[in-house]
Amino acid sequence: MTGPLIARRALLGTALAAPFIRPSFAQGSDPYVIGTLFPMSGPNGEYGKLFTDGAALAIEHARADGTLRRPMRIQAEDTQALPQQGVIGMNKLVNVDRAHYVLVGFTAVSKAVAPVGDRAKTVMVNGGAVGPDLAGLSPYFWNVIPLAHLETQAFLPFLIRRNLKRIALVYVDDPLGDAILGLLRTELPKVGGELAGTFSIPRTAQQFGPVAARVRQARPDAVYVASFGAQQAQIIKGLRDNGISQPLIGYSALSISSVTSIPEAEGVIFTSQKFDYTGGSEITRRFATDFKARHNADPGTYNANYYNATRLFALLARELERENAAVNGDSLRATLLRVREFDLVGGKGTFDDQGNMSAEIQVNEIRGGRVVPIA
Amino acid sequence: MTAYLANLATLVAIFGILAATLNFVVGFAGIFSVAHAVFFGLGAYAGAQVALQLFPDALLACLVAAIVAGGLSLCLALPALRVRGEYFVAASLGLQMMATTLFSEAKAFTGGIGGLVAIPRPTVAGVEVGVLPLALAALALILFLTARLQRGAFGRTLQSIRDAESAAEALGKNVAAAKTLAVAFACAGAGIGGALFALHLSFVNVESFTMDQSVLVMAMVIIGGTGTLWGPLIGAILLLSLPSGLAFLPFIPATEVGAVQQIVYGLAMTLLMIFRPAGLVGDLSKGRATA
Amino acid sequence: MLFLQLLLQGIQTGALYALTAAGFALIFGATRIFHFAHGISFTLAGYAFLFAWNAGWPWWAGSLAGVLAATLFGLAMERVVYRPIQRHEGSFFTVFVAAFGVAVVVQNLVGMLAGRGFASVDTPLSRATEVMPEIFLAPIFWIAIGVAVVLFVALSAFLTRTHAGVALRALAQNPDLLRAYGLSSNRLSMLAFALGSAMAAPAAVLTAMTTGLNEAIGHHVMLISMAATIVGGVGSLRGAALAGLMLGVAESVALQFVDTQWAEAVSFLVLFAFIIFRPSGFFGVVQTR
Repeated sequence: MTGPLIARRALLGTALAAPFIRPSFAQGSDPYVIGTLFPMSGPNGEYGKLFTDGAALAIEHARADGTLRRPMRIQAEDTQALPQQGVIGMNKLVNVDRAHYVLVGFTAVSKAVAPVGDRAKTVMVNGGAVGPDLAGLSPYFWNVIPLAHLETQAFLPFLIRRNLKRIALVYVDDPLGDAILGLLRTELPKVGGELAGTFSIPRTAQQFGPVAARVRQARPDAVYVASFGAQQAQIIKGLRDNGISQPLIGYSALSISSVTSIPEAEGVIFTSQKFDYTGGSEITRRFATDFKARHNADPGTYNANYYNATRLFALLARELERENAAVNGDSLRATLLRVREFDLVGGKGTFDDQGNMSAEIQVNEIRGGRVVPIA
Repeated sequence: MTAYLANLATLVAIFGILAATLNFVVGFAGIFSVAHAVFFGLGAYAGAQVALQLFPDALLACLVAAIVAGGLSLCLALPALRVRGEYFVAASLGLQMMATTLFSEAKAFTGGIGGLVAIPRPTVAGVEVGVLPLALAALALILFLTARLQRGAFGRTLQSIRDAESAAEALGKNVAAAKTLAVAFACAGAGIGGALFALHLSFVNVESFTMDQSVLVMAMVIIGGTGTLWGPLIGAILLLSLPSGLAFLPFIPATEVGAVQQIVYGLAMTLLMIFRPAGLVGDLSKGRATA
Repeated sequence: MLFLQLLLQGIQTGALYALTAAGFALIFGATRIFHFAHGISFTLAGYAFLFAWNAGWPWWAGSLAGVLAATLFGLAMERVVYRPIQRHEGSFFTVFVAAFGVAVVVQNLVGMLAGRGFASVDTPLSRATEVMPEIFLAPIFWIAIGVAVVLFVALSAFLTRTHAGVALRALAQNPDLLRAYGLSSNRLSMLAFALGSAMAAPAAVLTAMTTGLNEAIGHHVMLISMAATIVGGVGSLRGAALAGLMLGVAESVALQFVDTQWAEAVSFLVLFAFIIFRPSGFFGVVQTR
C-alpha cells in the first residue's frame, strides 16, 4: 500500500507548500494584482465569465494605451457564489497575492468578504450584485452598478405609462428580492399601481408550472421576475409555457445570454444602467467594437460594469503613479473622493461619499435575442 | 501569508471538529448522517445571535450553540432509533433538505438567505481573541473526549450496537439511550463548530449549511477513515487544502479555474474510494461493510 | 379550478419522477448499490438529446442518443467505480462518496463543454393552451403520461416474462440471492445498471423540452429518485414509480395550501414522515438492516 500513501503525501505536500512557491512582492515592475471573486463554476458560473471578460478587455486597453507604468494581471478565485468560498478566496487575495484591487459580484459573497477587505484596507468593487444593502458596507467597498432600488424606482413611471398597473412578483427571498418586494409594496401604490401577488421561490427551484397557476389566479397586468442566473430563464420559460401571456419584466440580471437566447424571453422588459454603444462616447464605442471583435457578441451590462471597475483602477493608479504615491486602499480611496468623476463606458460615472456610482437607468426589451433599449 | 494560513488553519480546525463529531456517530455508532450541516448551522445561528444580541463572548456562544444543536438533535435521533442503513441516510437527507428551507425562511433567527452580518469579534472574559486558538482548543477537547468515550463503557456499548444491534440489545444494553446520547454529543460538537465558524467569518447564511456541506464533511470522514481518531482530521486538512492548493496553479485559464478545481476534487474523492476504501488512516484489512 | 390545474401539472411532473425513480429502484434493488450518480445519467441523456437536436437530428435519433449516453454512463459506473469498491467490500458509504465524486466531475465537465447555465430545446410541444376554462395543458402532458405508461408496461413484461427479468426481480426481493447466484450476478448487475440508467433518459428528454436543463440538474433528480425509492419501499419497482408520481403531485398540489417557497420541502417532508411512521414504504417488507 505504499503507492497510494506516497501519492497522498505528494498531494498534501503540494497543497500545503504551494503558498510558499510563489511569494508576491508587489514592487518595481511587478504587475498590479486585480483579484476577482466570481463564481467560475456551479450554477452561476455563467456570470463569472461575463465579469472576467469585461475586466480582461479593460486590462488590454490599459496596456495598449500605456495608462500605467506597471502591467496589471488578473488573479481569479472561484467563489461558486458562496460566501464561505468567497471569504477563503478573499483571504488569499489579500494575504498571499497582495491584491491591489478586488472585483466582487453577488450580494451574499460581497457582504461576506467586505469585513475581510475592510480590515486589510483593500478596495473591493462590485459591478454585478444590486442588493441595496451593498451601499456603505465599508469605505473600501465601492459599487460601479446602480443598486436595485435605483433601477426599480426608475422603472415604475414607465410601467404606469404602459398601463401595467397590477404587478405580480416572482422572487427569490434574498436581500435583493426583499428590496424589490419592499419597493414595489410601498412605491407602486404611490404612482397608482398595485402589487397583485407575491410568490417567493427557493433559489434551487426548477418547476414553475404550479407557480404559474398561482400567478394566473392573481390576474396581474405584468409579472416581475426577481431572481438571477440560469433560474431566470427557467422561470420565464415556466411562466410562458404555462399560460402566462402578460408582459414579463425585471432588472439588470436578465441581461445574460441564457435568458436572451431563449425564444420565450422575446418581449421581456427590464431595466439596466444606460449604455449607448453606437452614439455614445469614444470610450463606449471602442469598448463595444473591441468586445464584439473578440467575443463575436454584443457586450452586456456586466461586461461593461467590470470593464468600468477595472478601468477605474487604471485611472486611479495613473493619478497615484504621477504623484509617485503608493497604490493601496487608502490612496485609491482618497483619489476616488478627490476626482469623483470618471470617463467610463456609458458616459461619465460620478461617485458619492460611500463610493457608489450613480448612473442613468434605461429600459430594455429583448427582441430577437438582442437587448434593445426602448426608453 | 501568515494571515492566509491562519485563516485556512481556522477553517481546518472547525471542519476538523465537524468531521470528528460526525465520525463519532458514523464510526462508533454506525449512524450514517447526511445532515451534519444542519447542526453546524443551528450552532452557527445560535452563536451568532448570542454575539449579536447579548455580548460576543466566545465561550457563551459555544455553550448556547452546543445546547441548541444538541437539544434539536432529537430530530435526528428519532429516525436513528427507528431505521438503519439506507433508510436512515434517506431520513437524514430529508431532514437536511427541510432544514435548508427552514433556514431560508426563519428570517428572525437566521436572517434568511441574506444571512446575519456584522457579527462582532469574539472575546473571552472581555478580552478580544482570535478564533484560531479557540477552534484548536475545541478540536483538541473533542478529540480527547472522543478517545475517552471510545475506550470507556459507553464506547463499547456503541461499538456493539454498530456491529450487531440485536445482540447488543439482547445483552441488556440500552440501545435507544446510547444512540440518543451519541447523536446528542456529536450534534452539540457540530454546534460548537458552527458558533466558531460564525465568529470567524463574522457572516453566516444558509448557503454554508446545505447538503453539499454535509456531503463534504461526510467525505472528510470517509476519506480520512471512519472509526479512527485522526482520520477525520486528515480528511478535513486534505479536502480543504486541495482546492486552496489548486488555486495556486498558474496555467489554468481564469474562466475555468473553478471547474478544474471541482473536477480534481471530485476525482480525488472517487479515486481514493476505489483504491483505499477504508480511508487514508483506516486499516484496509478491516474494511468491512458497515451499512 | 386551481386544484385541478395543480393536480394535472403534478401528474406531468410525477410521471417523469416515476421513470427516474423506477430506474434507481431497479439498480438499488438488484445490486444494493446506492447509485448516487443516477442523476448524472439523467444529465448526460438530456444534454445528448440537446446536442443532437441542435445538430438537426430527428427527435427519435436524439432520444436514442440520450438513451445510449445514459446507459453507457451507468455501465461505466458499474465497471469502473462500483465493482472495484465492492471487491474490497467497501461500505455503503464508500460507494456513496465515490459516486458523489463522479457526479462532481461530470457536472463540471458538462459545464465546461456545454456551457454553464440554462439550456432547453425549443418546441411547441411544451406550450400550454387553455383546454378548459382556467385549465392549461401542453401536448407534452399527454406525451409524458403516454411514455411513462408504455415504458412501465414494457418493463413489467420484461421483468415477468423473460428469464433475465425474473432473475433481476428475485435479486431485488431477496438480496442474499446476490451471492447465491455466483458468477452470473455480475452480468445481472450490468443488466440492472443498463436498464435502470436507460429509464432516466426519456424523462431527461422531456425535461429538456419543459423545464430545461442545467449542469446541476442531476442533483435534484437524484434526491427525488432516492426519496421515491424509500417511500415506495426498497425492492419494489411499482412502489418507487407510484411514490415518484405521488411526490410530483404533492409538490404541485401543496401550492393550493401553502406559499410557493415551501413546494420543494414538501417532498422531503413526505419522505421524512414515511421513514418515521412507515419505514417499509408502500410495498416494501420491513427491513431494518
